Amino acid sequence: MTRIQEPTSRNPVFELKDAGWRTGDLQILAGINLCIWPGERVALVGASGAGKTTLINLLNGSLLPSEGEVRVLGQNMARLSPSARRRVQRRIGTVYQQFHLVDSLRVVHNVNAGHLGHWSLLKAAFSLVWPLEVETAAHALAQVGIPEKLYERTDRLSGGQQQRVALARVLVQNPEAILADEPISNLDPERSREIINLLYRLNRQTGKTLVISLHTIEYAFSHCQRIIGLRQGRILFDAPASEVSPEMVAALYRIQPSGAEDDRAA
Amino acid sequence: MDNQPWKKSPSPWKYGRSALLAVVIIAAYIYSFRVTELDLPRLVTDFPKAVPILQDFLTPDVLARGEQTESYVINYPVPCGSGQEAEIPDSGPRIVPSVPCSDPKTTITVEGFDLRPDTKVQLRWLLPDGRRLRSARATTDGNGHFNVEVEIRPIVAAKEGNISQLEAELQWESTGLMPSEALKITFAKIVETVFMALMATTFACLVAFPVGFLGARNIMGTGPVGTVVYYIARTIFNLMRSIEALVMAVMFAIWLGFGPFAGVMAMTVVTVASLSKLFSEAIESIDPGPMEAIVAAGGNRLQAIVYAVFPQVIPPFIAFAIYHWDINVRISTIIGFVGGGGIGLQLQTWINQLAYNKAGTAVWAIVIVVTILDNLSSQIRKRLV
Repeated sequence: MTRIQEPTSRNPVFELKDAGWRTGDLQILAGINLCIWPGERVALVGASGAGKTTLINLLNGSLLPSEGEVRVLGQNMARLSPSARRRVQRRIGTVYQQFHLVDSLRVVHNVNAGHLGHWSLLKAAFSLVWPLEVETAAHALAQVGIPEKLYERTDRLSGGQQQRVALARVLVQNPEAILADEPISNLDPERSREIINLLYRLNRQTGKTLVISLHTIEYAFSHCQRIIGLRQGRILFDAPASEVSPEMVAALYRIQPSGAEDDRAA
Repeated sequence: MDNQPWKKSPSPWKYGRSALLAVVIIAAYIYSFRVTELDLPRLVTDFPKAVPILQDFLTPDVLARGEQTESYVINYPVPCGSGQEAEIPDSGPRIVPSVPCSDPKTTITVEGFDLRPDTKVQLRWLLPDGRRLRSARATTDGNGHFNVEVEIRPIVAAKEGNISQLEAELQWESTGLMPSEALKITFAKIVETVFMALMATTFACLVAFPVGFLGARNIMGTGPVGTVVYYIARTIFNLMRSIEALVMAVMFAIWLGFGPFAGVMAMTVVTVASLSKLFSEAIESIDPGPMEAIVAAGGNRLQAIVYAVFPQVIPPFIAFAIYHWDINVRISTIIGFVGGGGIGLQLQTWINQLAYNKAGTAVWAIVIVVTILDNLSSQIRKRLV
């Protein structure tokens, strides 16, 4: 029924051709070319304001490119009707730095929000009163290690637990790729390692593509196969983790007077 | 350092402007002092005029001595033979007619024995058709005895085999205190007022809830249709808010007649104006994250609103609604003055009758109810927000 092709190892999950995004006069991203293949673990690194979040938003369809082309699961996002775009978006899950959970709801409802791409409005509204598909939610929570929090109010949980709830929401959504936008920036080191390990395990066990933006680079080396370095809205390098040198990393964070065009990698 | 403005010497024009401004301000105050006919010493010299009213207000009419009654009923056939005659006991409290029965247009003597001493007695005929007819009055002596002449009027004659009865009712003031008539009326009216405010607030919520979304920037989006709807909604809120509750009440009183219905409608309109604005501001201040997450995962906008916005805004909505219920109880006292029903209308009636004790009862009732509601609503709000 669906016109979208199932991804194989031949077809990239994400494919960007000369993609860019601007708001007003401000060019946030420019000339992005990249392919991300099924099952890959990719780290997006770069300083604040390098465009990591914007790139994630292009990948999950929250933003449409102002130039170039973004293909998600083979579909050109800018060319799709809103409902067709939503059908693609259902297959891409995102976790956020700020978790993006409804604090005043019980955990089960926040986990169930992962169903909204498939549920009707009526079913969604009904589920807020009487939670539906509780087993699925419980199973997802067990996968992220907090099965006992099913009926807890979300704002009573710690930051690490809230990020686990957000992960459970993505699991319920059951996407083909998981995007993580600085998922550990609000967590302490111990909680950060747990969340990163969880994402890593999910990728290994289910084969879901993982794109994770990181403020700090250590986990990029230890947990990802490939590192994409962003600087001032452009790709500085895109290489296997083993080939990224300390000099390349240093170049990412070096403070440079404006107009450093030669900083750009091909 | 020429560009440091605080070191520049002010021009003479600037001095002149300041002086002119001062003159204008002083003139405005002098004029306003005169138009408002302020005469502050009179606050003190005329104070004695306020004393009686203040005294009445401070001694509200809340308690009254209760009336107690005791009554004795006997059969009294008129004319004789039309029915069963009364059996009079020989001792104990009793009333005794001089003859057990009589014909119309005669006069009999009725005596009472061993009744409550020094008490007023009212004699009454209980007619066959259920009506009551007052007859003679008397007062018992120290032994509880009375003696009074009673005229037998044709109206007490038996009809269709049913005879009249003669009742003697003893009335005296009880020692215990009872709630006064004014207090009872006040209680009924304040209950009416609280429920008027409840209805008005409920109606207003039903309207303001959807309308609030139309006036929220983050819901209406940045598209042309959304922007137009947003500005129209905001303009209507502001226009409605500029109309006072009192003006609304006058309008609805003319439209719907004096009474609680007009009051409820007036309060509803005023509350809609205020709540819509508060609601839309509450919606605008939500955390947009959950909505973003739902839309990014392929949910549609309506789903995102129901799932991510409703849960965030309902607690503040309830808090605002309760707060407005409390405000509406206060407003309804004023609205009553211009025909909106409730305690306000009663208060106005008593003030017009110069019954300041009773008015005092109403005023105190308002103070108490508003205080209770105020506490209650702040308790609930604390728990919600």
